Amino acid sequence: MSLSHTTSLDPPDDRPRTGSDGAAPPLAIEGLSVRRGSRRVLADVHLHVARGEVCGLLGPNGAGKTTTMAVALGLLAPEAGRVRLFGADPLTAPDALRARIGLMPEQDGLTGWMTAADYLQYWAVLQGRPIGAARAAALIEEVGLAEAPKRMPAARYSQGMRRRLAVARALVAEPELLILDEPTNGLDPRGRLRLLGLLRHLARSRGVAVLLCTHLIEDVERIADRATVIVAGRTVAEGSLAKLRGHAAGRRFRLALGGPAPSLPADSAALLAIRHAGAEEALVELAPGVAPETVWRALLFAGWPIREVRAEQAGLEALYLSLTGAHDAAGDRP
Amino acid sequence: MSPAFAIARREGGELLTSPRGLAWLLAAAFAFTGFALLLVGSTQLGLLDNAQVVYDMAGMTIALGALLTAVMGVDAVAGDRERGALLPLLATAAPRRAILLGKLGGQALAWLAMVALALPYLWAVGSTGQNLGAALVGLVLLGTPVALAIGAGAMALGARLRSARAALLSALIGLMLVASPLAIGPSLRQSALGRGFDAVNPFSGAVNALDAMVIDGQALAAQGWHLALVFGWLALAYGLALRALHAPRRPGEEIVS
Repeated sequence: MSLSHTTSLDPPDDRPRTGSDGAAPPLAIEGLSVRRGSRRVLADVHLHVARGEVCGLLGPNGAGKTTTMAVALGLLAPEAGRVRLFGADPLTAPDALRARIGLMPEQDGLTGWMTAADYLQYWAVLQGRPIGAARAAALIEEVGLAEAPKRMPAARYSQGMRRRLAVARALVAEPELLILDEPTNGLDPRGRLRLLGLLRHLARSRGVAVLLCTHLIEDVERIADRATVIVAGRTVAEGSLAKLRGHAAGRRFRLALGGPAPSLPADSAALLAIRHAGAEEALVELAPGVAPETVWRALLFAGWPIREVRAEQAGLEALYLSLTGAHDAAGDRP
Repeated sequence: MSPAFAIARREGGELLTSPRGLAWLLAAAFAFTGFALLLVGSTQLGLLDNAQVVYDMAGMTIALGALLTAVMGVDAVAGDRERGALLPLLATAAPRRAILLGKLGGQALAWLAMVALALPYLWAVGSTGQNLGAALVGLVLLGTPVALAIGAGAMALGARLRSARAALLSALIGLMLVASPLAIGPSLRQSALGRGFDAVNPFSGAVNALDAMVIDGQALAAQGWHLALVFGWLALAYGLALRALHAPRRPGEEIVS
């Protein structure tokens, strides 16, 4: 089924290549391929993040999101492809370029014996932009850690507090590009909404480019402008949320059946993917470009006892499930 | 404050404030106490002269210090990687050289803490303190590069090997090999193989120089080869660690995951 192919849902001129001021985009990845030993972990990844934009990087566990991040940061050398951070190759870019990036990895990696304020001041020195106690306190307030005892070392923080401190660390040098890997893991609902709100605020009011790597589609739906879906090391969809939702619309149907559905002949099977088929109901997804009426006729001809057809609600989740489902079914890796 | 100094302060603080670091220093104090009691209490070892026991205690200080820096070196890279602390650190604007110097600075602080801990024991076993000055000069000028070379080598191992446990095992085996002059008898060290090993081994360089300065009363100026040997190893280990921490060059090369 063609959904498993690498598919950009944007026309080429819709991808954010440069900012409105003509400056290079914070992050641009084209045709990225990475091999670890004999195993190819990324095969054809495309990813673009523009200034003032929140881009969701979606994919199932093991799809290659974290590897893509490592390459973007210049910590892993690719086999092929083009990676540009603010227009520069991250492998050869000067160290100071990294001060423009705020990173929040999946593991916090905090220094447990330091207090939050000490730790942020320490991190600011590493970023080459030292801050005073007042700025550290403002950051702590911004991420919702102000109520924690000031002298409490980070080792005694709860997981949610540690995630908040990791967010403050990513923000310490006022980055132009924020890369966050599963940032809402371990946060309570209020903390999650606060963080998502903060990210959206940073993008809208300060022009920060945000790359949000997650497997939580609702986080992306809530704040992202664009999304890229990586499955099995390939970009399978990339575009604005509106376009991705539109692509999903009208492709997924729930069929009420009067009995078990017989198997399909090969020529009919190419028209659709059967996500689920039971005695009373089936969930099917039409191949791109195929008219629904053609499929219904083929199914009736094959003896399917169809009683009712209902279109599934269109959304990013539907697209994501169809894209990842196609790969799950094929069990393929690059 | 420079990034290197900030990292050194963090690494040193980890040793002096964390329960694990304090446990290390406590264990070293127990080892020094046991060895000192052996030196002054044993009927046979009690016959050793003042210079010999100071030399033995100084050799043990270098061995314990090298053990501490080996563990810290592995932990500084491989341990940080497993805790998820290496990825954000390497993604900062701090140059790799500053990161390496900072982590070595933390190990230097740990080594100096070890020397400070050994000081009263050196004074006690020496009873009169007449060889204390030579031992201290030897420890600072020869022990420091040896401990840091071991620490830098352990960092290079930690960066190259995927697992912290494998890196720690490799570092400890390497340390046992390098520190073997403390354990093997004089006859073996006088063999052709032993002399060849002594000629290139930084640990031998340090303890032989200590021997010459503390027991034979030679001047530091006469220890040129030994100094060159230990500093040469430090430069080599530093270069290896810097290369291991450097940005990847070949496809698939990485140090983070």
